Amino acid sequence: MSFFLGLLLFVVVAGVMDAKLPWPRARPERPVLPRAEPPR
Amino acid sequence: MIAGHFGLAAGVKAREQAVPLWALMLATQWLDVIFVPLFLAKIETIEVIGGGAAGYGNGIIHADYTHSLFGAIVLSGLFGLLGGLRWGRRAAGILGAVAFSHWILDLVVHRHDLPIWPAAAPGAVRVGLGLWRWPLAAAAAELALVLWGGITYLRAAVAVARANDPTKIRRARMAGATVIGAGLLTLALGLAGM
Repeated sequence: MSFFLGLLLFVVVAGVMDAKLPWPRARPERPVLPRAEPPR
Repeated sequence: MIAGHFGLAAGVKAREQAVPLWALMLATQWLDVIFVPLFLAKIETIEVIGGGAAGYGNGIIHADYTHSLFGAIVLSGLFGLLGGLRWGRRAAGILGAVAFSHWILDLVVHRHDLPIWPAAAPGAVRVGLGLWRWPLAAAAAELALVLWGGITYLRAAVAVARANDPTKIRRARMAGATVIGAGLLTLALGLAGM
């Protein structure tokens, strides 16, 4: 019971509350592509 | 150990702030989450010591797939990989490490029931330092993790709110109080054998 209640409280309840705080956001790294040369 | 794992994840969130708390909390229990369906299918089991009612730390856990060293590494790597797809390489490492921390903390409390390889043969090497043999010491260690993680998280949440959006300081305090309260409640239920 403590396991399932813990999951509910920590993952769902605290997780939702935490998501509303202004933490920095993680973003997946994206490859930096070279800019296309403008047409001549 | 249930509450102690959550406490550790809360402490990690205070340091690795870009990783969502829910993902860290899920990571820290990932091995047990996979254990549940295997337990229901009777592939992995819990043997109560003395054959009486289940109580705090009085079980021998036969979880050769989810809680073997090899299984823990594979499952943690998988969780990190999934997190990495969503939040990037750094988050992948953090989530994988938090998932694997479950095995490390279990190593401290379990009674010599964690195998190295899945489906270990009888007589194969099993590890576990057995802190559960001293329930008060195990409970004190869990309480320390819950308080450390909860208070560290609370401080970090309030600091982040103060710096970035002071209107959310109250919300940060509530989130911190929820983490601490949930940790204490989970620990109390665990100590009651529930």
